[in-house]
Amino acid sequence: MTIKLTRGSYALPGTTLGYKTGTWRTQRPEHRHSSAPCHTACPAGEDPQAWLALLDEGKPREAWELLVSVNPMPAITGRVCPHPCESGCNRGQYDEPLAIHSVERFLGDEAIAKDWTYPVTAPPVQAPHVAVIGAGPAGLTAAYHLLRQGLQVTVFDKLAEAGGTLFTIPDYRMPREIVRAEIGRLLATGIVFKPNHELGRDLHLRELQQDYAAVFLAPGAMKSTEWNVDGVTPNDLHDGLHLLKRWSDVASLPEMKSAAVIGGGNTAIDIARILKRNGVDTHIVIHSSLPDPDNPAADDMRAIPREIQQALEEGVRIHDHHGVKRLILRGEKLSGIEIVRMRKLPDNKGRLHRVAFEGTESILHVDQVIPAIGQKIDPTGMERLLTGSSHFKVSERGQLAGNGNLYAGGDAIEGNGGTVTEAVGNGRVAAEAIAAALRQEKLPAITAPEPISFESLNMEYFEPARREEQDILPVQERVGEAEIEHGLSPLQAAHEANRCFACGNCLRCDNCWTLCPDSAVLKTQELASDGSFYVFDYDYCKGCGLCAIECPTGYIAIASE
Amino acid sequence: MRKALEGSQAIAQTVALCRPQVVAAYPITPQTHIVENIAKLVADGNMDCELVSVESEFSAASLVLGAACAGSRTYTASASQGILLMSEVLYNIAGLRIPMVMTCANRAISAPLSIWNDQQDSMAVRDAGWIQLYCASNQEAVDTTIQAYRIAEATELPVMVCMDGFTLTHTLEPIDIPAQAMVDEYLPPFNFSRALDPANPISIGTLVSPDHYSEARHSHHHALLAAADEIIAADADWQQLSGRAAGGLLSVSGPDDAQIGILTLGSIVGTLSAASDTYTDLPATQLINLRAYRPFPVDALRLACSGLTDLIVLERALSPGFGGIVSAEVHAALAGMPAVPRIHSFAVGLGGRDIPLEIYRTLHERINVAEPQPFSIIDVEREKLPVEDHGIEVTGIMT
Amino acid sequence: MSTDKQTITTDSLVKLRKNQPRFEGIESGHRACLGCGEALAARLVTEAAGPDVMIANATGCLEIFTTPWPESAWRLPWMHSLFENTGAIAAGMEAALKAQGKPTKVLAFGGDGGTFDIGFQALSGMLERGHNVLYVCFDNEAYMNTGIQRSSSTPHAAMTTTSPPGSDRMGKRHLKKDILSIVAAHHIPYAATTSVAYPSDLRKKIRRAMEIEGPTFIQIHSPCPLGWGHDGEYSIKVARLAVQTGLFPIIELERQEMIGSMPIRHPRPVTDYLGLQQRFRHLFNKDDARAVEELAHIQALADHNIKHYDLRGDGMDRLDSDGADTVRRGGMRWA
Repeated sequence: MTIKLTRGSYALPGTTLGYKTGTWRTQRPEHRHSSAPCHTACPAGEDPQAWLALLDEGKPREAWELLVSVNPMPAITGRVCPHPCESGCNRGQYDEPLAIHSVERFLGDEAIAKDWTYPVTAPPVQAPHVAVIGAGPAGLTAAYHLLRQGLQVTVFDKLAEAGGTLFTIPDYRMPREIVRAEIGRLLATGIVFKPNHELGRDLHLRELQQDYAAVFLAPGAMKSTEWNVDGVTPNDLHDGLHLLKRWSDVASLPEMKSAAVIGGGNTAIDIARILKRNGVDTHIVIHSSLPDPDNPAADDMRAIPREIQQALEEGVRIHDHHGVKRLILRGEKLSGIEIVRMRKLPDNKGRLHRVAFEGTESILHVDQVIPAIGQKIDPTGMERLLTGSSHFKVSERGQLAGNGNLYAGGDAIEGNGGTVTEAVGNGRVAAEAIAAALRQEKLPAITAPEPISFESLNMEYFEPARREEQDILPVQERVGEAEIEHGLSPLQAAHEANRCFACGNCLRCDNCWTLCPDSAVLKTQELASDGSFYVFDYDYCKGCGLCAIECPTGYIAIASE
Repeated sequence: MRKALEGSQAIAQTVALCRPQVVAAYPITPQTHIVENIAKLVADGNMDCELVSVESEFSAASLVLGAACAGSRTYTASASQGILLMSEVLYNIAGLRIPMVMTCANRAISAPLSIWNDQQDSMAVRDAGWIQLYCASNQEAVDTTIQAYRIAEATELPVMVCMDGFTLTHTLEPIDIPAQAMVDEYLPPFNFSRALDPANPISIGTLVSPDHYSEARHSHHHALLAAADEIIAADADWQQLSGRAAGGLLSVSGPDDAQIGILTLGSIVGTLSAASDTYTDLPATQLINLRAYRPFPVDALRLACSGLTDLIVLERALSPGFGGIVSAEVHAALAGMPAVPRIHSFAVGLGGRDIPLEIYRTLHERINVAEPQPFSIIDVEREKLPVEDHGIEVTGIMT
Repeated sequence: MSTDKQTITTDSLVKLRKNQPRFEGIESGHRACLGCGEALAARLVTEAAGPDVMIANATGCLEIFTTPWPESAWRLPWMHSLFENTGAIAAGMEAALKAQGKPTKVLAFGGDGGTFDIGFQALSGMLERGHNVLYVCFDNEAYMNTGIQRSSSTPHAAMTTTSPPGSDRMGKRHLKKDILSIVAAHHIPYAATTSVAYPSDLRKKIRRAMEIEGPTFIQIHSPCPLGWGHDGEYSIKVARLAVQTGLFPIIELERQEMIGSMPIRHPRPVTDYLGLQQRFRHLFNKDDARAVEELAHIQALADHNIKHYDLRGDGMDRLDSDGADTVRRGGMRWA
């Protein structure tokens, strides 16, 4: 249609909308959600960015609900997890990483205080029934997720109370009333719990496999690895784990004036600190290294660095790069140990073996030596599954190969680092695998998403902000069993949540909307693609790429047209 | 009301009667008294408008353009160098079809520098697309100014009212200034259809591609041609109201049977009229007073020239390297007439040289030739020419 | 975190566009280049100014790319006359609106060409007479619309088509005209510089100027990807660096007194800014002593600005060059 000229050639308002400048494009912006490093690092599989965002919006309950859709025990992990999420946090490359660990604990504690309901609905009566052996973190998490998957669950444990290894963690680190509160609320979601049922005695594996649609084994590794020096041990040898359990049960310890704990894991640190509080002159002897940035990570002690730091503050003396050469006995009682500088070095085949350095010997006058060098599964009732190995070998989805409907997780499986968080992750993954198997659904291989890098973010839009730290009791006040670290206040937690960069997710910062020279980014909530608050109007977008560069979180990617 | 006024003063008072809301003032001889008088009227509370003393003629024209687009009746005036300086804006105003009125106090153009009257300035912008009306007397200037607002606002074309500098602007004579009520009756309030308005936001001044530019030009050209009717109607209506006509498109005086005609624009008409009364021995001559120069009144001119054997075009400007401006257009307008008169082309009174009554006689002498004179500046004095021009045969020099 | 999604159709986009929570003075579909800083600046200006305005626009990029007849991107009453008369057109509009008793504010838009050079006289006249007009200069530092020729706003040593480097020349010989001081010398109530890199600062200043009775002047640094020689996606980055090096100071003047500035938290070396733009690439030839000298000269100019306007930051400030316009992630919320 021929357009007629206007008098004086005036034009009507907004009529350029008739010209679609989108035809100019050779590339286009797209919203691309990327996993934040906190998500890819979490052994339980949490997406901390996601629930921090909810907390930042002033929705702590919704934040907790999102959190527990993955990890049902934040009040616990928020105290004992070594928080690899924080090590990976992109903000750590700008000023200080997010205190994800502390905020998780805050949410967990809030849920207990306010009795927030877990997002679980009762499974249908005719749903298949799954058995879980072991009411520790792996077992309880598996049971929780099995319920969420619409299956019925019964959890068995040989002890009188659910909690497993959680009760071996000292109170000042993990108060048992919190453990009981969290587990109590968790069991109240509809998990049937049968205590005092021991595998091999009250239960039998083959029957379980027949009576139940599937079985998840999470017996933990509650048996200490044996220790001796050239075949010799004192007659009153107590291992670290045993002492922790005794302390947890009856709050008593054998008489001793001084002790040398052998080992560098959390068990060693925990028992060492308990001994120290009880007036024992305590040493730790370990062939690996105190955490040191100049040292290769493989040489570091396995315990959580914060715990090691607190042990040192409390007066525990740690002899790293040392091993026990000889026991000095008076009769059958220990009067000391000879220690020597020792390191694990690779042989010419690359395998690590312990090398003692002659000429570096010294004597520690101790009347107790307490090994805590590792733990393994108590194989009672499961012997046939453990021929030739100390731990279960499972697939990436927790299935025991060649054993039909048997799954396993937690400390009992090979390759785990012994943390509660890993156990939680195992429980969830196995529950999802069990549910899929029962639906006759094939799950694809697990692909680890690539976390978004720091370079993809735009730091121009962030400001330095102090990280909130939990209050810690000064050393002289660390008496008794009172919890050493106090939780964040709601204000502190909110402040932390606000510091989150929201890597790879839309922050609703309005940058793209404000800066598009062509008004081709429209603000919306209803029409936005998943996770964003904006749509691109491709009729007019010229593909200049400004939005992608100025997006603080790296959420906009540029794709070829 | 009839009073003895200087031409500029009369114009100022007339403009006030037309109630412009915005007036832009930049002084240039011989227009200065107009803007000074307006300033005094404003200062004494006798004229309610925004008087803006701009910093150049370019800005004067631009200011009134902006004001008109914003929906106000406006006024400005200039001359000579100022007209040239604002010429870019004049084209712009006309092309945008903006209704407004300005006065051109005709003055010669530098170089050489001159402050005195001729019509080179308005002639230089005849192609800008404005309606151009030339006034033979101060009374005509007053009446034409009022009519100009009516014409401009009805046609949405800008109108330039030309009056000879000094000759008219600085002459004191009795002039009838109409009453406010009469002007109010004659001029409806300013109501520009395309005024800018946030409630109805249009964009004025767009980029037009070759696809539509020709149509814009065509439309403008024809709007100007059609404006002739409005010019006639405006004058007729004014005559009804005031009893005075201002000259329509053109006016003719003298015996109907005269075969010689003199066509001219502006105040020189008065001189020729007086001369015609004086030199009764000379042949009967019609005086054709061309009032509307744009649109050029082709039909009216042909009618006026029918029956003439000789037509003298006496103008106040020239196109160097060619000759007469008006005469060239007259030639073009009369071409193809059944009996085209012999056209004699003269420029006179350039740079404000006094035009004596004797010029009338000289003209009559000049046309007694076998062939019509090619263009010449009739009042050049040979002996004053630079040395380099002596020895060049130039015809038509007054002795 | 998922939201209920509806299918996006053309109709839903049209409706969505009409319901954006901001005033849209310039619509999409205009013909600006990819990443045009001036287009962005103009949109931000009209957004902050609101619908009750009347605009006089000089000839230049903004006017050309928004009004290709029969289309216009403007949703505001707007007129373009010529290159050099924006100040006068705006003055006329203002006089008319005043005479009519209407409160509509007049805005004058011009590029650096139409403001610093050919339009300078009209601007000066308008300022001197105290017209109630907000004059906005979109400073992209050359006559961009006609193909990148130098203006008096072009920075020293920059390459343009009329100041090309060669064996006898190193880009523009002369310094960037200090228009703000000249404007402020008219003793007007408010004059300020701002940049598209700081949209909140820009909008705040526009709103401030809108409320002032009398002439106000705002100079917005607006990168031109084509003319400056960088990809459109870096327009904001480049603009930000201009501020952070001290080469484009962000200041506010009231009747010639400096009453506000944006301190530079961490001044950047000028090479960070110059190195991103092809128009300065002749300065990066290390073998050319002239280039080395020019870089030093430009750094000296930047250092001089920082000293002269006292722009050195004093620790963290929410409104300094790093703090202004941050996301609310431990910083100040956008204005």
